[in-house]
Amino acid sequence: MSNSEVILEVKDLRTQFFTDEGVVKAVDGADFRVRRGKTVCLVGESGCGKSVTARSILQIVDKPGRIVEGEILLHRASGELVDLTKLSTTGKAMRAIRGKEIALIFQEPMTSLSPVHKIGNQIIEAIRLHFDIDKKEARARAVDLLNRVGIPNADRRIDTYVFQLSGGMRQRAMIAMALSCRPNLLIADEPTTALDVTTEATILDLIKDLQKDLNMTIMFITHDLGVVAEIADDVVVMYLGKVVERGDVDTIFHDPKHPYTRALQKSIPKLGQADRGRLETIRGMVPHPFARPHGCNFHPRCESFMPGVCDRIDPPFVTLSEGADVSCHLYGEADSDQKESLGSQEEA
Amino acid sequence: MASRGTSHQIPEASMPTKAGPLLELKNLKMYFPITRGLFRRVVGHVKAVDDVSLTIRGNETLALVGESGCGKTTLGRCIVRIYDPTAGAINFVEENGDVTDLATLKGQSMKPYRQAVRMIFQDPYSSLNPRMTVLQIVGEPLKRHKIAHGTELEDRVADLLHKVGLRPEYIHRYPHAFSGGERQRIGIARALALYPRIVIADEAVSALDVSVQAQILNLLQDLQAEFHLTYLFVAHDLSVVEYLSDRVAVMYVGKLVELGTTAQIFAEPKHPYTEALLSAVPKPDPRLRDTGARIRLTGDVADNAHPPNGCYFHPRCRYCQDRCKDEEPAFHDIGQGRRSACHFVEELQLNGVKGV
Repeated sequence: MSNSEVILEVKDLRTQFFTDEGVVKAVDGADFRVRRGKTVCLVGESGCGKSVTARSILQIVDKPGRIVEGEILLHRASGELVDLTKLSTTGKAMRAIRGKEIALIFQEPMTSLSPVHKIGNQIIEAIRLHFDIDKKEARARAVDLLNRVGIPNADRRIDTYVFQLSGGMRQRAMIAMALSCRPNLLIADEPTTALDVTTEATILDLIKDLQKDLNMTIMFITHDLGVVAEIADDVVVMYLGKVVERGDVDTIFHDPKHPYTRALQKSIPKLGQADRGRLETIRGMVPHPFARPHGCNFHPRCESFMPGVCDRIDPPFVTLSEGADVSCHLYGEADSDQKESLGSQEEA
Repeated sequence: MASRGTSHQIPEASMPTKAGPLLELKNLKMYFPITRGLFRRVVGHVKAVDDVSLTIRGNETLALVGESGCGKTTLGRCIVRIYDPTAGAINFVEENGDVTDLATLKGQSMKPYRQAVRMIFQDPYSSLNPRMTVLQIVGEPLKRHKIAHGTELEDRVADLLHKVGLRPEYIHRYPHAFSGGERQRIGIARALALYPRIVIADEAVSALDVSVQAQILNLLQDLQAEFHLTYLFVAHDLSVVEYLSDRVAVMYVGKLVELGTTAQIFAEPKHPYTEALLSAVPKPDPRLRDTGARIRLTGDVADNAHPPNGCYFHPRCRYCQDRCKDEEPAFHDIGQGRRSACHFVEELQLNGVKGV
């Protein structure tokens, strides 16, 4: 993968929250790349650090959290390379990137849009912050954007407040705002989770269409594997702050390597397969943030747990094929006899 | 139900007769007044549930699906009498065959039925009192109904916790010490404490992570087999509904639009709204991307206070004809125990979900 294809590289990112009770390692060594013009999905259960990763990229991690280690490299089209972690969180350089180069769509539009400002004014503010144009022109651009995201009567709706819009319309307004400065990278943090299936489907279509038109790169954060299957090119699976598997969408769905990815696939009920008996579950719960297991984070819940290996040694990343990496001892340098016996157990 | 969950088959003899109705809703209406001005003048009504008739049979799982704002939660809440229905009857068939209308019961006379009809709430974070221990939360119904107290109460609560897969040692802990999935189990234990006959599960798994959701779905099935429960499963996630339920009722703007067995509804929907709902569900397989006809509903769910004329679904329906704009379709029988509220059931060829 040449560098011109990559827009964002996250290298060994560690974001920690220093609370009174102890340190929460929300992101604990995240490593992945985002290819230009593609859609990458960050998948994982709640508490796996996917939202904190997104916030770390934009340097908007709430206190008492901060990035303690790692690099976030933004490759500009001009060939310039910026390490976002080196920039001051409140500095001019970072503020110029937020919204302009990298934009974010939040999960809950009701709480992330201002309830006391008209949606138009909020979009106009964003436009005028990054472009030197007058109010009238900015307003025309805002109406154009609202039209584009499929809000009917945009010239009238621009003067409504958030509470006057339905859930789907709010999310469209949110998307219009994120697109107002033509970002190169759009980070969407669970944008459809709070919506109905019918609305979700239209919003996903909209995001796909806009990506095609604007040649945008999208980083999509979700826990819904159905959504991943619909839109992703690449998938990054996270568990407890670590990336456990990376690969293209077809590999993740049809040839998943990590036991966690496999278990996740099996635990979702699939539409159109009536009477399948019981669902397979992942045993146990996601561990408490203060009590992370030693070695591989997943070992207490893992089907292929190898005593003496998984609970001691951090699994390294193993590249299995072009663009498919997994962090698991099953594929590493671990004792090959042990591996084979485990492999046969699994098949049984 | 016994055919599912192979490890939990119950002998035929102990199975209650499935065909008998347990709960019959007759023309149930729940209108919320819209008031204006100083004197709270009533200027209109939000028709959250509008003339719903539905029979829930003993020991079945009936799913109630629809978009947000369609009135499915309100319907559930009417049955448990959190709301007082505006009109209609909720006929509850008691074990000895007597029929009682829950809709008109007041005060103490409702109490015996609060044992028989219980509810599991959607949000495990807001539905448990943070100032009560698990013992108090799960034991409260037992105390209120004077079923147990003292050490017996503790034993029963410990037993219930064990049944829902929690460790009985946790009995003196507060809800904040538990994860979302564990809290939902506490909510389930509370609902089961009085050995109810019917449980209204209002989006019981929507707030949970996928791996935990699977655990809770399995638990609900096991408990149904063990306690001969009847579920009214209110949900919007169709893949969960297909997995769990025997029959499905589809609701749109306060009215039922389709009713049938799960297999019928998913394979051969008989209402354009059901077809659209099914086609909107993301398919968890990238190889199926852009295959099959996708139906995108335009516009929003109709306003309950000012529903459109004729069929409520007509502004979003792709098969809409002139008749749909004026004439309201009846929720009529279409054979094989199915019902649909569409004028053109006979003519339309609608697509369901095909097995993958």
